[in-house]
Amino acid sequence: MDKTSKGIQTLSTHCSYKTKFAFRFLRSLMKLKKQHQPISSSSSSSMELIHKRSQRIKMLAYSSIAHAAGPRRAWSRAILFKLQSRARHHYFTRKRSSLDSKTKQKKILKNKRVMRNHNIIRAGSTSRVTRETKQMKKLREIVPGGKEMDICSLFDETAHYVKCLSMQVQVMQAIADRFSK
Amino acid sequence: MDMGDRDKFELENKNEDPMNYSPGMSSDWRFGGSNLTNTSMGLVSVGNSMAVSKGDLIGSSCSSASMMDSFGPTLWEQPTNSQSLGFCEMNVPSNSNTVSTLGIRKGSPGSWRNGTDRALDMYWNPPNSMSKGGMFLPNVPGVLPQSLSQLPADSAFIERAARFSCFNGGNFGDMVNSFAIPESMGIYSRGGGMMHGAQDILGGNGLKPVSGLQSQKNELSVGEASKDASLTVEHGPTDGAPLKNERKSESLVRSHDEAKQGVGNGGSGNESDEAEFSGGGQEEPSMLEGHGGEPSAKGLGSKKRKRNGQDMDLDQAKGASQQPGESAKDNTEFQHKGDQNHGTATNKATGKHSKQGSQASDPPKEEYIHVRARRGHATNSHSLAERVRREKISERMKFLQDLVPGCSKVTGKAVMLDEIINYVQSLQRQVEFLSMKLATVNLRLDFNIEGLLAKDILQSRVGPSSTLAFSPEMPMSYPSLHPSQQGLIQAGHPGIGSSSDVLRRTISSQLTPLTGGFKEPNQLPNVWEDELNNVVQMSFGTSAPPSSHDVDGSLPAGHMKVEL
Repeated sequence: MDKTSKGIQTLSTHCSYKTKFAFRFLRSLMKLKKQHQPISSSSSSSMELIHKRSQRIKMLAYSSIAHAAGPRRAWSRAILFKLQSRARHHYFTRKRSSLDSKTKQKKILKNKRVMRNHNIIRAGSTSRVTRETKQMKKLREIVPGGKEMDICSLFDETAHYVKCLSMQVQVMQAIADRFSK
Repeated sequence: MDMGDRDKFELENKNEDPMNYSPGMSSDWRFGGSNLTNTSMGLVSVGNSMAVSKGDLIGSSCSSASMMDSFGPTLWEQPTNSQSLGFCEMNVPSNSNTVSTLGIRKGSPGSWRNGTDRALDMYWNPPNSMSKGGMFLPNVPGVLPQSLSQLPADSAFIERAARFSCFNGGNFGDMVNSFAIPESMGIYSRGGGMMHGAQDILGGNGLKPVSGLQSQKNELSVGEASKDASLTVEHGPTDGAPLKNERKSESLVRSHDEAKQGVGNGGSGNESDEAEFSGGGQEEPSMLEGHGGEPSAKGLGSKKRKRNGQDMDLDQAKGASQQPGESAKDNTEFQHKGDQNHGTATNKATGKHSKQGSQASDPPKEEYIHVRARRGHATNSHSLAERVRREKISERMKFLQDLVPGCSKVTGKAVMLDEIINYVQSLQRQVEFLSMKLATVNLRLDFNIEGLLAKDILQSRVGPSSTLAFSPEMPMSYPSLHPSQQGLIQAGHPGIGSSSDVLRRTISSQLTPLTGGFKEPNQLPNVWEDELNNVVQMSFGTSAPPSSHDVDGSLPAGHMKVEL
C-alpha cells in the first residue's frame, strides 16, 4: 500500500520535474542564444566555440535539472553549490588580473589533490580496499555531493539522481531531435 | 494527551517528588514489604531489595518519578486493563478507607475515560497523601490480615516484579523498585512498558484505523474497567476477594510470562530464574517451546485476549502479539542504557512518541525486533543500530535495482553497483553528448528556436512541454538504451494524462499512433514521418485551445521547417 502510493507520488513528481526542467532549460537556452548570437556570427563555428558552447549548455542543463529537483535533494544542492561557486570563481577571475587567477587556480588544484590523497589514505587505512569500497568511492564521485553522504543516503540520492538524469536525457534528446531537423 | 498537558503533569509530579520521598512514606512501604515477607516465605530478600531501592529512590528521585509519569498514561490508554484492574483492586483493600476508595473511584473513571495523565495523578495522590499523613500506617496491619487471601498472589507478584527487575540488569529494576512504592507499581511499570510497546508499534506503523479501533476498544475496556472497579468497590474487600484473586493470578501469570520473555529476548542468561518461573506458571510449556520469540508472544497475546474476554479483534490481537516483544525490547533498551537517567530519558521519549504517534524513530525500532528475536545475536545497541542500517541500505539498493534497467536480474552487491555506476555514467555522457548536439544545432537553427520556445512556454503553462519531451523521442540515436527509454516514455504517458486533462482530451487521439510508432522501431523512416506529422499536429492541437493567433502563425513556419 505504502509502496504504491509512493510510486504514484514519484510518478507525478517525475512529470512535474519534467515540465519544470523543460521549461527552465528552454528558457536558459534562449537566453544563451541571445547572448551568443553575435559571437557565433562573427567567428564561424570553430571547434573550440562549439565545445565551449556545449559546456555551457551542459551546465545549463544541470542547473536547470537541479532547480527542477528543488533544494530538498542533496545532489541538486551540490550541483547548485558547485555551479554557484564556479560562477563566482569565473566572475572573480574575469575581474581580477590573469596572473592572480592562475595562482588561485593552482592553489585550488593543489588543495583538491591533497584532499583526494587524504581520502585515499583514509579509506585504505580504515577498511581493506575491496571491490565494493572502490565502487562505492566511484559512486560517490559520480553522484554530485556524494562525498559527504553516508551510504544510506547516498543510495537514496543516487536513485533520485538517476531518475532525474534519465528524464533530463529524454527531454534534451527531444529538444535536439526537434531542432536538428 | 498533548504535550502541554504532559509537561504540566511532569512538573506537577516533580513538585510532588519531595513529598513522595519523605521518610515517612518510605518507612511506610518498607513496613508493608516486611509484612509481605512475613506472610510469604522466601521473600525477605525481595523486601530488602525494595527497601534498599527505596533508599536509592530518595537519591535519584526526579528521574524515577518522571519515569513513572511516562509509564502512567500509556497504561491507562491501553485496552488491557486487567493489570490496572489488579492494581486498583490491590489498592482498594489495602487502603480500605472510605476516603481512599472514594478517591479511587473518583479518580478511576475519569482517568480511564480520558486517558489523561492528570487523572493518573489524582489516582496516585490519595495513597501518597495517606501515607504522608501517616494514616496508612495504622491501616496496614488491619488490612493485611483481611486481604491475606490475596497475599500469596501479591507476594508472587512482588517476586515477579523483583525478578523482573533482576532481569534488566538492575538498571530498570532499580528504577522499578525505586518508584514502585507498592508492589503493584511493579506491575504498573511493567504494564507501562508493555503498553509502550504496543503504542510504539501503532505509532510506528502509522495505522490510524487501528489506533482508532484501539481507542474505541479503550473506551470499551474503560467501560469494563470502570464497571469492574465499581464492582470491587461496592463489594468491598471481603466480597470481591475471590474475584480479585482470580484476576490477580491471571495477571500474575501474564506478567510473569512477560518477564520471562524479557529474559529470553534480552539474553541476559538468567536461566535459573526462568526455570523457577516455569515451575510457577501455567503457560510455561508453550513459553519454553517458543523461546520467548514471536510465536509464543502471539500465543500469549491470544491468551491475553481470552482472559480479557470481551472485545477481541484481529487488529488488536496483532497489536497484542507484538506487545510483549516490544516490551521486551524496551527492557533490553533499558539494559543497554548504562544509567538511570538515560533510561528515564528514553522512557520519556517513548512515552511522548506513543502519545503523539510520531513515526520518527519508531519504524527502525520496530524493524529490528524481528531480527533480534534470536538468541545468539548480539544485542548491544551498536550492533542493533548496525543491523538497522544494513537493512536500510539493502532496501535502498532494492529500490535502485528497480530503477536501473537490466539491474533487476543481477545478484550480488558488487555487480549491482557496477551496473548502477555504468548507468549513471552513461546518462551523464548522454547529457554531455546532447549538450554538444544542442550546441551545434543551435548554431544552425537560430531563428526557429524562439517560435518553438514561445510555443513551448505556452504549452508548459498548460503542462505539456513534457509532451514535447516524449513526442519526437526517437529510437535511432541510442539503440542500447532504447528499451529503458521506451519504458520511461510509456510510464510518462499516464502521468501526463493525469496532470493535464485538457491535454489529454486534445492529445488522446494522437497518442495512440505515437505509442504505436514507438513500439515498432524497425520501420524507421515511415515512423519518423508519421511522428513528425503527429508532432506538428499535436502542437497545433495544443496551442489552438489557448487561442493565441500569433503562435498559430509561427507554427506553420516550424511545420515548414520540419517538412523541409
